[in-house]
Amino acid sequence: MGSSSSSLNKIPNAQELMQETGFSAAHLLRLYERFEWLDRDNRGNLSPEDFEALGGLAMNPIGGRIICAFFSPGQDTMDFPSFVRILAHFRPTDRHRNKGGTQQELPNSRNRKLKFAFQLYDMDRDGKISREELLQVLRAMLGLQVTEEQLQSIAERAIKEADLDKDDAISFEEFKKSLEKVNIEEKMSIGFLQ
Amino acid sequence: MPSRTVIYGSSGRLRRLILVMVLLFLEGSVLTLGAASSNHYSPTPAHSDSHNAQNQSSQHREKAFPVLDFNYNGVKTPFEIALWVLLASLMKLGFHLIPHLSNIVPESCLLITVGLLVGGIIKFAGEEVPPVMDSRLFFLCLLPPIILDAGYFLPIRPFMENLGTILIFAVVGTLWNAFFVGGLLYAVCQIRPENPSFLHQIGLLQCLLFGSIISAVDPVAVLAVFEEIHINELLHILVFGESLLNDAVTVVLYHLFEEFAGIGTVTWLNGFLGVISFLVVALGGVLIGAIYGILAAFTSRFSSHTRVIEPLFVFVYSYMAYLSAEMFHLSGIMALIACGAVMRPYMEANISHKSHTTIKYFLKMWSSVSETLIFIFLGVATVAGPHSWNWTFVTVTVILCLLARVIGVVGLTYIINKVRIVKLTTKDQFIIAYGGLRGAIAFSLGFLLDKKHFPERELFLTAIITVIFFTVFVQGMTIKPLVELLAVKKKQEAKRSINEEIHTQFLDHLLTGIEDICGHYGHHHWKDKLNRFNKKYVKKWLIAGERSKEPQLIAFYHKMEMKQAIQLVESGGGLKLPATPSTVSMQNIQPRKPAPAKPAERALPQLPKNREEEIRKILRTNLQRTRQRLRSYNRHTLVVDPYEDGLSDLLIKKQKMLEIEKKIKEMNKYLTVPAPPPDSPTMCRARLASDPQAYNVKPVSDKVPVIQVDLASPQSPDSVNLLDEFGQANQQQQEEEQGLMMKPPLRPGEPNKPGEADGAKDQQKLMRCLSDPGPSADEDEDEAFLP
Repeated sequence: MGSSSSSLNKIPNAQELMQETGFSAAHLLRLYERFEWLDRDNRGNLSPEDFEALGGLAMNPIGGRIICAFFSPGQDTMDFPSFVRILAHFRPTDRHRNKGGTQQELPNSRNRKLKFAFQLYDMDRDGKISREELLQVLRAMLGLQVTEEQLQSIAERAIKEADLDKDDAISFEEFKKSLEKVNIEEKMSIGFLQ
Repeated sequence: MPSRTVIYGSSGRLRRLILVMVLLFLEGSVLTLGAASSNHYSPTPAHSDSHNAQNQSSQHREKAFPVLDFNYNGVKTPFEIALWVLLASLMKLGFHLIPHLSNIVPESCLLITVGLLVGGIIKFAGEEVPPVMDSRLFFLCLLPPIILDAGYFLPIRPFMENLGTILIFAVVGTLWNAFFVGGLLYAVCQIRPENPSFLHQIGLLQCLLFGSIISAVDPVAVLAVFEEIHINELLHILVFGESLLNDAVTVVLYHLFEEFAGIGTVTWLNGFLGVISFLVVALGGVLIGAIYGILAAFTSRFSSHTRVIEPLFVFVYSYMAYLSAEMFHLSGIMALIACGAVMRPYMEANISHKSHTTIKYFLKMWSSVSETLIFIFLGVATVAGPHSWNWTFVTVTVILCLLARVIGVVGLTYIINKVRIVKLTTKDQFIIAYGGLRGAIAFSLGFLLDKKHFPERELFLTAIITVIFFTVFVQGMTIKPLVELLAVKKKQEAKRSINEEIHTQFLDHLLTGIEDICGHYGHHHWKDKLNRFNKKYVKKWLIAGERSKEPQLIAFYHKMEMKQAIQLVESGGGLKLPATPSTVSMQNIQPRKPAPAKPAERALPQLPKNREEEIRKILRTNLQRTRQRLRSYNRHTLVVDPYEDGLSDLLIKKQKMLEIEKKIKEMNKYLTVPAPPPDSPTMCRARLASDPQAYNVKPVSDKVPVIQVDLASPQSPDSVNLLDEFGQANQQQQEEEQGLMMKPPLRPGEPNKPGEADGAKDQQKLMRCLSDPGPSADEDEDEAFLP
């Protein structure tokens, strides 16, 4: 136990982070190691270039968006606590945790997970997924294999299905509603981070 | 033969009841005749027909030419098979006629009861009960259709997501069950040494063999029962997947113990070889299945000119996979599942819509008949015996089976829950344990035992039958109320929306990205890799032409649109007028010219009264034309399927139609022309099908482009019943049309079928066709390959 507690000391505000995100000490350490590995030039924080160096992310159709999501708007660097906070969204939800305990919602609750996903769609952060934003996502995912008309039709149909207040955009509530049948807790969780 | 009398006019219930009783009587007599005829060739069975009398009388005279002759032996075997199948089907019919029976008692129980009855009747008639539950018949003919049906429509995504859990239940659970039951049975048999009984002679290996036979959860029984209770997808796939995958374990254990029961001991070497053999059996089965699946997919790539035999490839390749695996003593069930699951995504991209419907219906039909037959035969075989009842053995077996199952499930869940993301609750565990039904596979395996090596074969058979009866009757009947009582989550409405599809794919990419960032090669990572591989190499080889590049989302989208179009037609409503001018293209997916954005909106406000009349006239004529077209349906002139080519336009237009629909409703306030006969399905089909350039063109023009859409959908297989409701012969219009479809040879001068009287009856027929719920596996179609 001695070694791990001293390693924990490397991490600033370790206890607070653990409290806030729900990660255990072991996990936090693992993430810290990963953080250091990603941080090539040892600056103590990450920049978009560090992420882009990851091959898998480069091939990912929405890789760019994911990277952007890690960084708060306007900022160019990211420190460890932010890194952990974002990854905390992907912890598996603990069904039995008593809800009355914590004051604030844990980052890995269903709501927060959905909010994170929503922000990936909604790049301009206006609280709605407009048709154009949806088209961008579709274009990114489907690439050059489809024609513009098909994209339009799909986007059209998607908005029509989800848009309940007829404002031609999908708000967060509508987004949540359209996904109510999907098991988000399972889909957006990585067992590794349990 | 007693003839059926149908009673008109009396109350519905009485009529149904009488019908059912008559059916029962009919089968009883039919089967007795069959059994009787099979045993005696003499011309005096109990219910002989007049032919025999003829024959006899002609025999007394000198050799006159036999006007009527009776030769049963020539058609004996097929005749009997057909009789049994007929019985099975009539029974199925009968059950659903009885009002509340199918809600309370699961079909499997009813069928076993019928089997018992039939066996009883045959025995009572003094005939020898035919040995119907022949193991060869079972394993080669009755089991494959059910498994293929299950494998072809297996929901891949939940299966793969829970594969670890399923495997643990299947392998470790079955092993545990086998050894627990076998071992403890042996111990029980050995007690009371002061009173040596028959039981003492049963060796350990025999007990273990018995344990392994009885411990496997049976897919047929599980399917039969679980299908009716509609529990949520997770539990269903867990129990069902387990029942499928434990076949490998059963095969290995069975052969292992059977081989060595003769010798009496199993050395460590042989035990070790058994473990190796398990891996070989399981993986070998899957491999064989996958190979045949890929072959089938590859074959289907070239079948665009011979659409008629496409379904055949699915059936033949799968059956060959099964037989090949059985040949090598590998797991035939796993081969069949692998074959079906592997070939499906590629097949569906290659074959025509009609072939797809055919495959679906044939599989459901065969599996349904097979299942019915299996349960009936179980009942008959029970009556046939031979039995050897021993209270101790049988009751201990039943208790041990239950106990082993419960302990096994609870223990394994405890271990599994440490690794699972979504934990299994106690309720889940209860359902999994309770759903461990045994069935006909256990019985057939027992039947296969050699009497020489296993003198206690009859005892085993009796015990197996008792366990089967117990699980199917007791557990089968009570599971439905228990599910209600425990408020287990039910299966959700399976309509997947396009939003879900988009977001699910999005989340897949997101999770893959996050896994990359964490540096963790998890579930998503490998799935992504497999998808990439699939897209890059496999699809190119196995899917014909353009469709190999079609992304999954698009395919899904098309399917959805198609479904919605069909639904719209069926609901008989909404579409009052067709939409934009057609831009008919022959391509499969991509429309050449995008339809102008919402032209209908522009056209609509100017719609005058007489224009609607003209449009209606056009629709009528197109309707008639459709009818004539479908008349000659020679299989050699099976033309290019108009449905497929017009599909893309259909989809695009349908969207616009939906928008117009709303506007029409407003418009109708201004127009005083009465609407056409409300929403008759045919009119809607016509509207959907025909697409005249309504707004810009004179009505009776010779340039009415017509898209003949053969709406042969799964919901309405009988599209040929399209009726001509208006009966006005507009024959001159036929020559004028310039549809882009090739017509089957039109018989010249054939008048249209006369109208109204026919029409009413046909309409009823059509409504019935459209209301055919069909097999309920529609949601399975939405599952994409590794979505």
